[in-house]
Amino acid sequence: MIDLTVSFNHIKLKNPIILASGVWDLPYTEIVDFNKLGGVVYKGISLKPREGNPTPRITETPCGVINSIGLANKGVENFNKEVLPLLKKFDTAIFVNIFGESIEDFSRISEKISDVSGIEVNISCPNVKKGGVSFGRDPKTAYAITKAVCKNTSLPVIVKLTPAASNIVEIAQACLDGGASAVTACNTYQGLVIDIESKKPLFDKVVGGVSGPAIKPQALYKVYQISEGVEIPVIGSGGITNYKDVLEYLIAGAKSIQLGSVIFNNPLAPMEIIDNIIKYMNEKGYRNLKDIRECIDE
Amino acid sequence: MASFQILPVIENRVVGPYTLLRVEDKKMHSIAKCGHFVMVGLPDSMDPFLLRPISFLSVDEKSFTILIKVKGKGTEKLSKVKEGESLKILGPLGKALEPPENGILIAGGIGIAPLYYQSEWMKSGVLFYGAKREKDLVFKEEIKDRGFIVNTISEEKRGTVVDLISENLNFLKGKKTFVCGPESMIKELKGIIGDYAKDTFVYIERRMGCGLGGCKSCAVKVYFEYKLVCQDGPIFPLHEVKFD
Repeated sequence: MIDLTVSFNHIKLKNPIILASGVWDLPYTEIVDFNKLGGVVYKGISLKPREGNPTPRITETPCGVINSIGLANKGVENFNKEVLPLLKKFDTAIFVNIFGESIEDFSRISEKISDVSGIEVNISCPNVKKGGVSFGRDPKTAYAITKAVCKNTSLPVIVKLTPAASNIVEIAQACLDGGASAVTACNTYQGLVIDIESKKPLFDKVVGGVSGPAIKPQALYKVYQISEGVEIPVIGSGGITNYKDVLEYLIAGAKSIQLGSVIFNNPLAPMEIIDNIIKYMNEKGYRNLKDIRECIDE
Repeated sequence: MASFQILPVIENRVVGPYTLLRVEDKKMHSIAKCGHFVMVGLPDSMDPFLLRPISFLSVDEKSFTILIKVKGKGTEKLSKVKEGESLKILGPLGKALEPPENGILIAGGIGIAPLYYQSEWMKSGVLFYGAKREKDLVFKEEIKDRGFIVNTISEEKRGTVVDLISENLNFLKGKKTFVCGPESMIKELKGIIGDYAKDTFVYIERRMGCGLGGCKSCAVKVYFEYKLVCQDGPIFPLHEVKFD
């Protein structure tokens, strides 16, 4: 019997596959059976609703996408009343990604969240004027936000890091010091698209966040660096499109992984990946995820 | 309820400047409604990475059709899918429209596709239809056969569909009107039809990520807030839509 369960710092998952924040909402439950997923992270919510950036908000890049959504969301009250009750029907770990423009915002929003498996703190969005990447680049701010959130909740706190930090290991350490149960590495990479007709940046806010297979080796390296350097569980995220990518992340040190943009290309990818991991483990005779990391084939 | 499937293409033919793809699907007919669309992509391919939102042209018991206009690499690849090959299909998506029995349709270019599908749900009406060249005015005869009065115009001969509407503004009085075409045409039209915009509805096109309300990419400003084309649309009241 294959055991896919993952457990770290009070976070328990039936398998390591988590649906990342920002790529799905409730209608996606029509396409994919959430009961089969290890967990889901609901899209970045703020204290008050945010309308997001002007369009266009998305375009393709070679082997991926770049977005400038700007954390459009209906706010924490809407999440608690309209979204959470529907998500609770599924047998999966529910996490919620939170965003604030100040440390106080993060404190206040974390107080309002309960009855979930954990909070993912977004200090890494590249598409907002205040907060986001600017918080995630500075170890002192990362520490202060993590500490403020942990003080206001008894739930496990995961901090989602930005690859734009000059030393991501230092940021992960700051999050650990602040009380985080895990880090997600990492959010999108900052990028630019120019419209050659208008001779201007395509996005109103100029910068966008690059995701998809284009960033997989880079994000994987961040996961490896953090896993080697800091005693904090890492949730790997960035460009995963198939089970082999998941294996790479697990071997690099990730405890679990998140799937994001791949569901735009193939909405059934989470199911296919879980099935293929089981098939792979059966073929190799592995019993659990530890075997994937530790057994080297002759 | 939407589903995601890999479905076979059973026909690929050129229609005017477009490519018509017929996809075999026996279930779509019972669930697709006027106003719906599908996300379309190539199986086993990450290039292009995103699926493309495309309106239905027609849906019958055994299949549905979509019309492709080659605009870039993605639509070019889709237009080259041969009979016997397959497509990724996510749908039906969007908010269904309750079409009136009788009304006005205004189409610019490939904007004819969803309006052709809409005409199937109506008993009669008037179509105003413009394109660059006379030979680009595809499906006008078929819509005539459905009991519609058809007025066409081409830029090579006389002008645009906006010119045609300004000559026939009184036709719009008291009628529900539906518009689909390039955004520049829709903006111009909004400018000339004045009060009639209150009874006019527009099909909005946006770049999309997921088609399922998740990524919040396909925003359109309606009054003072953003709505999503994939969930709240693609059809919106023209007077409520704020263009950039």
